[in-house]
Amino acid sequence: MTTKRLSIQRYLPEQRKTPFRQEFDVPFDDSTSILEALNHIKEEIDGSLSYRWSCRMAICGSCGMMVNDEPKLGCKSFLREYPGTIKIEPLAHFPVQKDLIIDMEIFLEHLAAVQPYLINDSGESTETHRQTPAQLAKYLKFSDCINCGLCYSACPQFGLNPEFLGPAALTLAHRYNLDSRDQGKQQRMPQLNREEGVWTCTFVGYCSEVCPKSVDPAAAVNQGKVESAKDLLISLFKR
Amino acid sequence: MTKHVGYVPEMKRNWWLKNRYFMAYMAREATVLPLVFFIGCLLAGLYCLLQGQESWLTWLEFMQNPLTIAVNLLAFVASLFHAWTFFQLFPRVMPLRVGGRAIPAKWIILGQWCGVLLVMVLFAWIFGRGV
Ligand code: SF4
Ligand code: FES
Repeated sequence: MTTKRLSIQRYLPEQRKTPFRQEFDVPFDDSTSILEALNHIKEEIDGSLSYRWSCRMAICGSCGMMVNDEPKLGCKSFLREYPGTIKIEPLAHFPVQKDLIIDMEIFLEHLAAVQPYLINDSGESTETHRQTPAQLAKYLKFSDCINCGLCYSACPQFGLNPEFLGPAALTLAHRYNLDSRDQGKQQRMPQLNREEGVWTCTFVGYCSEVCPKSVDPAAAVNQGKVESAKDLLISLFKR
Repeated sequence: MTKHVGYVPEMKRNWWLKNRYFMAYMAREATVLPLVFFIGCLLAGLYCLLQGQESWLTWLEFMQNPLTIAVNLLAFVASLFHAWTFFQLFPRVMPLRVGGRAIPAKWIILGQWCGVLLVMVLFAWIFGRGV
């Protein structure tokens, strides 16, 4: 079995104030993912290495990290894809707590702000809400988000201003606004209309490039701009 | 536990040199620079026209300066490049549907280019007649 070198950014606040780099050689074959390589280091070489993971099948969204400067899921990236030393860092634009573990608080706050759930006060709560395939098709793509936060690390606007609601939260807002069973659009629009809502986005588009689930958040955010413009126009005439 | 333990990485000024997506984005944004020059030329032309024959002739001379022509050519290429990137993005911002079916992005992009061609032909026809 051949080995590959991983250059990992370590941050151990109880030992040093600043992050540093540490290199590890790990054995690998064609099926070894970055996450497995980290597991190998933790089990065999250095137990102090910290990172998050859970499902190891690109579903839970916990294992996001920068691999050679690109936001990636550790479990969905493989050592075979990278020639030479692989550079591993925590997800960009987030505060770092320890090694590869970032503080996702602000991301979760942004998610909560857009009320990402069905809001529907009509009818009995036990009633099933019917939906046609055509109605489903309108938002289906945007519902695949696993809240991994990779798009936030790809978004320079979020990096410059963490108050920006950001790609995933705005995508979720749009996803529920498009849902025929939902009636919460009026409650969500003030969030989209804010300066830190859709209008902070300048359509860099890299978020859609890195999304491991092909959600296309850039498209959702910019469709949100159209909705926001419509909303502002309607409110002008209503006065 | 306090909020934001640890350190917050900073974004450097040259963040956009980090990868080609950011560079392409910056190129798209930069197309505005030669276009501002072009608009400046147009406004100056209008102003000179109002000032009388002499200043109009000075403006004409300025417009024939090879450097002016070069920057304006650059503005033309930049606007085409911007249009190309914009047309690419448009179907994602406004996915069009006819009878419940999504129109393929390719068609929308093609439609936009047809529009550009039409406007160019129209302009050539209007301004070409006088020559
Ligand atoms: S939109 Fe994509 S990249 Fe962003 S959090 Fe959701 S799954 Fe992750
Ligand atoms: S471990 Fe769940 S997405 Fe990677």
